[in-house]
Amino acid sequence: MPSEERGRELISIPMTVEVPYRFAAGKYMTKFLMELRDNGKFYGIRCPVCKRVQMPPRIVCAVCHVQNTEWIELSHEGTLVGFTIMYLPLTDPTTGKPHEPPFSYGSVRLDGSDSVIDHMLNIEPDIDKIRVGMRMKAVLRPREQRVGDLSDIVYFDPISQ
Amino acid sequence: MPENFGDDVFEVAQRIVAHSRYYAGRMGSFFFTRLRDEKKILGVRCDKCNRVLWPPRSTCGRCFSELSEENLVEIGPEGTLEAFTLVTYCEPIHPRQAPFVYGIIRLDRADTGIVHFIGGLDFEKAKIGMRVRPVFAETRRGNILDIDHFEPL
Repeated sequence: MPSEERGRELISIPMTVEVPYRFAAGKYMTKFLMELRDNGKFYGIRCPVCKRVQMPPRIVCAVCHVQNTEWIELSHEGTLVGFTIMYLPLTDPTTGKPHEPPFSYGSVRLDGSDSVIDHMLNIEPDIDKIRVGMRMKAVLRPREQRVGDLSDIVYFDPISQ
Repeated sequence: MPENFGDDVFEVAQRIVAHSRYYAGRMGSFFFTRLRDEKKILGVRCDKCNRVLWPPRSTCGRCFSELSEENLVEIGPEGTLEAFTLVTYCEPIHPRQAPFVYGIIRLDRADTGIVHFIGGLDFEKAKIGMRVRPVFAETRRGNILDIDHFEPL
């Protein structure tokens, strides 16, 4: 759109780069996404040496460099370990569309897991209404609408106590 | 849990969308407005290097001389095809549907090339050294596609 500066037109041109792509989930991530989509379950994987449970699952434990083999079903409930209030739009990688700010976003450690999952929180974006340590529960799309990516989790709901 | 992963190893569809704005700057704006309003193509002369650069810029990249409005010169409109490639596949970032030819055209009186579409010919007839001229877009908006493509003379 042209703008005038000191009587002279200056040109600027809006540009949008849109790149759809596909990534191969690999067999562990595939199992994780299939269980989420088909059975509404969260699966992590336990390292045979250090016993930590990773979710999403990795084939190799990054600490011990051994292959993870023991699948662990995790709870839908967990604890909020960190959060932020987003004032900028966050592009949703599953749709390419921005998520309208402001909204609450946080890291939840599901019970039984040693790693966290970052996702939208269904809490009013007010710093006085969110606190670390809150108990949270994952809300999934209904079975027939699940597609097998992380958008199958709609958000995390606070569990009222 | 069963270790049988079956044939279900699958791919996840994602997309990256990036919005940005290109600011042509003072010299670039002369180029785009003259192109849009008068169908003229401007380059900029560096007197020290005796080179005419496209697109117009405010500093010579070789000798760092300051270049200004007085250094603007009209180049082309005809030019010579210096290199080309035939694009036979579609990608979302391509501005046009394949097949098309991208070429580097050195406009007459310019010392640098301009990348643009080559059209109006059978693609197998494209040849290095071929003389070409610009075909201007009917509706011009002040961007590089105000030249629709270059065609053979």
